[in-house]
Amino acid sequence: MNYFRWIAGCGPAGAWRVVAWARAALLRLLAVAAMLAFSVHALDTDRIVKSAQKYGPTGVANAKALQQMMLALGGKDDTARLKAVNDFYNQRLAYVEDIDNWGQVDYWASPLESLGKAAGDCEDYAIGKYFTLTSLGVPHSKLRMVYVRASIAGAPNGFVAHMVLAYYATPDAEPLVLDNLQPVIRPAAERPDLAPVFSFNAEGLWQGVGSIRANGDPLTRLSKWREVLMRARQDGFQ
Amino acid sequence: MSLIRQVWLLLSVTLVLAFAGAIGVSVHSARHYLQTQLDLKNNDTAQSLALTLGQLKGEPAALDVARELAISSQFDTGYYERIRLVGSNGKTLVEKQADPHPLNAPGWFVALLGLAPADGVAQVSDGWHQIGRLEVRSQSAFADDELWASTLHTVGLLAALLAIAGLFSTVGVNRIRVPLLRTVDQAKAITERRFVTVDEPDMPELRNVTRAMNAMVGRVKAMFDEQAGQVELLRRQAHCDPLTGLSNRAHFLGRMKVMLDAEDGAAGGALVMVRLVELQSLNRTLGRSATDRLLQDAAAAMIESSRRFGSSEVGRLNGSDFALALPDVDSLRESAVDVGARLRSLMRVHEGGAHVVVGAVRWVHGAPVSSLLAAADQALARAESRGPWTVESDDAAGESTALGEDAWRQRIQAALAARNAQLVDFPLVSRTGELVHHESPLRLRLGEEGALVSAAQWLPMARRAQLTADVDLLAIELALQATEGDAKPRSVNVSPSSLSDSAFSTRVHALVVAHPDAARKLSLELAEAGAVKQLHLVRELAEQLHGSGTKIGLEHAGERLGETRGLLEAGLDFVKLDASLLQGLAADEARMQHVAGTVRMLHGIGLRVYAEGVTDVADATALWSVGVDGLTGPVLQASRSA
Repeated sequence: MNYFRWIAGCGPAGAWRVVAWARAALLRLLAVAAMLAFSVHALDTDRIVKSAQKYGPTGVANAKALQQMMLALGGKDDTARLKAVNDFYNQRLAYVEDIDNWGQVDYWASPLESLGKAAGDCEDYAIGKYFTLTSLGVPHSKLRMVYVRASIAGAPNGFVAHMVLAYYATPDAEPLVLDNLQPVIRPAAERPDLAPVFSFNAEGLWQGVGSIRANGDPLTRLSKWREVLMRARQDGFQ
Repeated sequence: MSLIRQVWLLLSVTLVLAFAGAIGVSVHSARHYLQTQLDLKNNDTAQSLALTLGQLKGEPAALDVARELAISSQFDTGYYERIRLVGSNGKTLVEKQADPHPLNAPGWFVALLGLAPADGVAQVSDGWHQIGRLEVRSQSAFADDELWASTLHTVGLLAALLAIAGLFSTVGVNRIRVPLLRTVDQAKAITERRFVTVDEPDMPELRNVTRAMNAMVGRVKAMFDEQAGQVELLRRQAHCDPLTGLSNRAHFLGRMKVMLDAEDGAAGGALVMVRLVELQSLNRTLGRSATDRLLQDAAAAMIESSRRFGSSEVGRLNGSDFALALPDVDSLRESAVDVGARLRSLMRVHEGGAHVVVGAVRWVHGAPVSSLLAAADQALARAESRGPWTVESDDAAGESTALGEDAWRQRIQAALAARNAQLVDFPLVSRTGELVHHESPLRLRLGEEGALVSAAQWLPMARRAQLTADVDLLAIELALQATEGDAKPRSVNVSPSSLSDSAFSTRVHALVVAHPDAARKLSLELAEAGAVKQLHLVRELAEQLHGSGTKIGLEHAGERLGETRGLLEAGLDFVKLDASLLQGLAADEARMQHVAGTVRMLHGIGLRVYAEGVTDVADATALWSVGVDGLTGPVLQASRSA
């Protein structure tokens, strides 16, 4: 396993390596926006289904399933949404390393890209869940993408670099962890196997993304997070 | 707008647009680059610092201090305007703020183009626990200063480039302008009846134009040459003795009459009559052809003798009688003897019994031709009676130049200074009877109480005293003033000798500029005999007056029109045919042919043709029939009174 492989993907790593991985990823991210406003968006699942056509029949089938699920969640509370969305991605996506899935050591796929392949690695699960929830109306301020160091039995050194989605009902609350290693949503306290390192979300960034052309802003192209934000937005996620 | 001005405008607009565009693009890209770098720096620092803050461990109290220290250590590098940690409840936990750096860039520049980088923002968390939001704002004054400096550099560099481009443009435009102006000048010259050719320019487009115009001018010249040749032939047939080429009797008498009557003729002169006695016996002994040769040699000798005087005239009155009309002669005797001596030396060479007698009389301006001829005949008869080679001169008329040259000069100068002068108007009318212009010769009052006298009385002296330029300028000024009064066009005589005065054309120009309206109705006329000798000076005068509307023409013309192609380049407006060519025109087919040919030739190069001194109604009718544009002379009074 080469250096880039564990830096980039969700491979096993030592504790310092997790920190280094997070730092390197951060340097590539370059930007996370301020906690400013969040907005309530009208749900446009038809557009998502339409966008899925370019990812082939699997993508369309999965997008239609996503549409059905999202429509079914109309009016439900956050707990129901979290469970449905968490289950949806954990069931629909098979865990595949980026190098096998996309031919790149680290590729952050948009929700529809992952659904089109019906596969993804740790950040692809988290990304899919994040945008689906925000599209359902969960505010960005309640969500965090979290780099964690996960201890897994049998892994070399006992740890892997991993990413999960955290849900904060209030800023001071203990978060709920949406993970693909343990498909059931649990409070953070019940996940001693995960050691959070750094978290971020799309607050502030999200508003500006729509107006930026695909190859216009050099910052967007540099940052994996911004780039996947843009692709998700173009696919109809809100 | 002129072509050159359009080229300049186009170049200027292009250069200025390119200049402005280059500055705009350069400043914009520099600004965008700096802004991007500042945004990156803010974000990058926020991320790194947030990660560091999230990794700190310890007791809560110690943690607060550790976080503040971590933020301080970053802030105290001095590159930051503000670093702030805001808690998840919205309360500020740590804030470090510095004053913005003072700016070098001027305020208006910062207001217009100043950088406004976004704050770098990152989430800080301790494990699963959210701590808050970290905001980082870098100092941006240095970037504004950098942008200002780079803008100044760009403007300076581009201004230098603009100056170089301007320099190249000037050179380039001049390379176009010089040949263009030359071509335009040629075109203008042609419209002003100056048929000049110019060197072909290098530029292909202009070269074709110039080539066409040169070819056209060449054709006009060839046509003129051909017509001039014909006219000269007609002139000889009409006015010359076929054997010797001298004026025939009729023409000589006509010239004599003009000389005596002309307003600006000579005040006096000599009429020298020469008779080749025993021409018949010579013819018998030497044979016809030898006699003819002798006559031709004698004619050449007389012409040579007459050349010593101004516009003299030599004629063959009949088979053996010749006459020389010599203006402005000082010594009657000397001039007669000179002719006699030349002929005597010539006759010596030829064997035979022929000899020569000479009779000379003095004439004064205004004398009748017939009595003058009679007096000369008497002198000749006396000489013949006194034997071969006698020279008889009758100086009874006395010296007309009784006054000394200095006295004349003073009187003329006094008259000029006191402006004791007046123009006399003689109308020149067109075929329909409309006034073309007044011929306005100048008369001077010489002496306090004297009468106004015509140029014939004082012009020769003025010429000798080199005062003609002043005389002519006074005449021009008076004519301009008179025209301003009555709006009638006037034509003023200019002595050819005035042209030699280097200041003359400049002073005329000044007068013309001072009276722009009257100048358009002013004509200047120069006697042909003097003008053709210095056509380049006539041309200079024409160029000087070009644009003022003042016309320039030849007067007393006809004898030498065919000789000079310079006429084509002088830029004249009109030609007045001498009275001596026109007298008895109606009755003389050869004269008629000559005048008709002359008019055709001059019309061919765009000149107007007027007739001078027409006395006879039949002549006037004949002149109109050959197409002259106007005439003057006693016939006008006759027809008016009739």
